[in-house]
Parts: sequence; structure tokens; C-alpha cells
Amino acid sequence: MRNLINFIIRNSWWLLAVLLIVFSFYLVFTQNSYQRSVYLSSANRVSAELYRISGKITSYFYMRKNNEELLAQNAKLQNELQALKSYLNDLALDSIQTQSFVGDSVSDMRFRFIPANVVNVSFFGSNNYITLDKGLQEGVKADMGVVSQNGIVGVILAASDHFSVVIPIVNPKFRLSGKLKHSENSGSVVWDGKDLHHAQLEQLPKHEVFHEGDTVVTSFSRIFPKDMIVGYVVGQGKTNDDNFKAFKIRLATDFYTLQHVLIIDDTYYEEEYSLEKSVEQR
Amino acid sequence: MKISHLHDIIWFVGLILLQTLVLNRISVFGVAVPILYIYFLIKLPRNSNLFYVVISGFLMGLIIDIFLNTPGMNAAATTIVAALRKPLINVFFSKVEYEDFVPSIYTGTGAFLRYIVVMVLLHQTLLFFIESFTFFNLTSTFIHIAASSVLTLILIVALDSLMYRRTSGI
Repeated sequence: MRNLINFIIRNSWWLLAVLLIVFSFYLVFTQNSYQRSVYLSSANRVSAELYRISGKITSYFYMRKNNEELLAQNAKLQNELQALKSYLNDLALDSIQTQSFVGDSVSDMRFRFIPANVVNVSFFGSNNYITLDKGLQEGVKADMGVVSQNGIVGVILAASDHFSVVIPIVNPKFRLSGKLKHSENSGSVVWDGKDLHHAQLEQLPKHEVFHEGDTVVTSFSRIFPKDMIVGYVVGQGKTNDDNFKAFKIRLATDFYTLQHVLIIDDTYYEEEYSLEKSVEQR
Repeated sequence: MKISHLHDIIWFVGLILLQTLVLNRISVFGVAVPILYIYFLIKLPRNSNLFYVVISGFLMGLIIDIFLNTPGMNAAATTIVAALRKPLINVFFSKVEYEDFVPSIYTGTGAFLRYIVVMVLLHQTLLFFIESFTFFNLTSTFIHIAASSVLTLILIVALDSLMYRRTSGI
């Protein structure tokens, strides 16, 4: 009897190891990406704080490139501003007749943009996530869209008080409906897990044609506004289903040097969502 | 005893910081990610308490998981490697070594190299296959394993050579 007890005590570390392994696998399989807890992700206070500090340091390395991009963006906005100004002037000239009919021409701003900094991008095989330095306190909630100055980045997955985690396009769990800019047929944008610069636009009808460099934009989405840039077509893609066509696209966002993003707060999101829900229930 | 625990804690924290803040941002050609934190398990003395080895391996993996948003993956792989560490050491190193034997590149280079190759390959294989449960692509998984293992091994050999020089140079 004593021998048996001794044996169990001496080898109980195996039992512990097995228990810990089972627990780990439990975590692997139960952590559904859309209901994960804030504590077991990089949005928790300690890891987010560490990432914020190191993000501050590394952001200096990319300053030059970001500066250039900001300048380009600035120039583009200036051009648009000028164009709109002249357009407005034209309208002002002939608005005398119409003003009496139009009550208030300034419509509600549907989309509000919350600027945020990237504090960490984790590349681990194909499980890529991005941590941002804005959270619930700044009005960030799960399911909000995230864009960079160049194009779509991803969707907020979880938010803590001051931080949030984004599931980017470059994660195989991410799906987004997209279409070519000049066409109305939507397909879905899928990442194939290979490199951070390319993805595929799949499930397009067979008759869809492309030219290299065609812009891919978002189509119907509850999260993103219409016609936001996703990427550019670079060639024919691979598809398993012969009834559909797929294009290979170069993503507009460079995930290696991503520093600043905008979080899209859709003020009509709740309204649209609850309306659609109420129809489904009927 | 106390000194050695302090030594372990410093390594534990240092490797986690190195892994999460530096190494996970390195992605060579988009395929190779150096996964160096396994070095902690490699360098524990041979006669370490087995509970201690398993628990520290599990905690290391779990903390890395929290940083990388990969719940359970690193924890599972690292705990399995921790559990298999003792038998592996017995395979590669003769049993006549002294009590607090720490595997190192200067205590038998050939044996140490074989030992780290098996440890790293085992760890990476487990890691990438657990990861593949959620997303499967066989060729890219093998390329990931091979490339990341080579990168990790180079880093371990470099780190180990450096450590020895620093401690023996005094």
C-alpha cells in the first residue's frame, strides 16, 4: 500500500502535466473569436500597457514613411476641398430658387471617426491581431470598423477601458464582402494565410472581368461605409469551385508599418441592427 | 537555492519580454517567426523538480498566449515539451554527469545540438499543428515549421555561446 502511495506521489507530476495540457486545449477550442474575454487577450491592462510603451518607441522607426503618407493624404484632401469649394460656390449662385424648398441641407453626420494608434501587431502564423490604444472610455465598441489612410484594416473584436483588439483582414477568420469598383457583383474578401500583402476576392460570377490595378471596394456591409478601398487586383486567383471566379488582390493597407488608424463609429448602427432583427423575428 | 530561483525568474521575465516585444514583430519573408522562449526550458538544470518544470512551462506558454491573442496554443505546446524534457535529456546526455547539470553548448556540443534540435522541432511542430486546427494548409504549415525552427536554433546557439562567455570571463 505504502509503495503504491509513494508511486502515485512520485509520478503525480504527470497527472498535473496532463491536466494542464487538457486545460490548454480547452482554451484553444472554446475561445470563440467573437466572445473572447478581455483578460486572456492583449487588451488586458498589463500587456496592453507594455505594448503601448514599446509601440511608442518603435513608432519612431516608421515616422518617415508615415509622414510621407500623411503628406500625400493631405494633398489629396486639399484637392478635394478645393473642388468642393468651387462646387459649393456654383451651387450658391443658383440656390436662390431652391432655398425655399430645402429646409436644412446639412444632414446628420452618419459616420464619426475616432483616431487611434497601433500599439501592437502580433504575427503568429496566421493568427494575426492588432491592439489599439483606444477603448470603451473613448466610445470604442466591439464590431466597429477600422480603416487606415490607405484602406480597410479590420473590425474591433474586444475592447477594454483603454484598449481594443482588432481582427484584421489578414486573419483567416475574417470575412468581408467586396466588389470591383466599376461593377455591382459582390464577392467575399478572404485571406489565404500566406503573406500580409495579398488576399483574394472570391465567389464572383464567372463573367466578371478585371484589369490589373482595378480597385476593390467594400460592398454591402453593416460595419463599413460603402465604397471604401480594400485593395487592388493583381491577377487571377485560385478557386476550388468552378462555378465562381476569384481574383488575387494586393491589400491597400501595409500591415508591417501600420501606425495610425481610424475607428468608424456608425451612429445608425444600433438602429439598422435592431430594425433588421425585428424583421427577422417576424 | 534562492539565487537560482532569482536567476530563473529573471530569465523567465526577460525571455517573455524579448519574445513578445521584439521577436514576434520579426517575420522573415512572412514565414519564419523566431520562438525563443523555449530556451528557458532547455536551460533548466537536469535535476529540477518536475512540478516546477511543468508549471513554469505552462505559465510561460499562457503568458505568451495572452500577449499574442492565441488562447491555449503556446500553453499546450510548451507544457507537452516540458513534460517530455526529462526523458529527452536522458536520451542525449550520459547519466554520469554531476547533479546540477545544465545543458549547454560547452558541455558536449554534439549532444547539446541534438538536444535543442529535437526540443525546438517538437515545440514548433506542436505549435503549428495546434494552430492548424483552426486553419489548415499543409505545405505552408511545414514551411513555417522548418523556417521558424532554423531561425530559432540559430538564435539559441548564439545566445548560449554569449552566455557562457559572459559567465566564464569573470
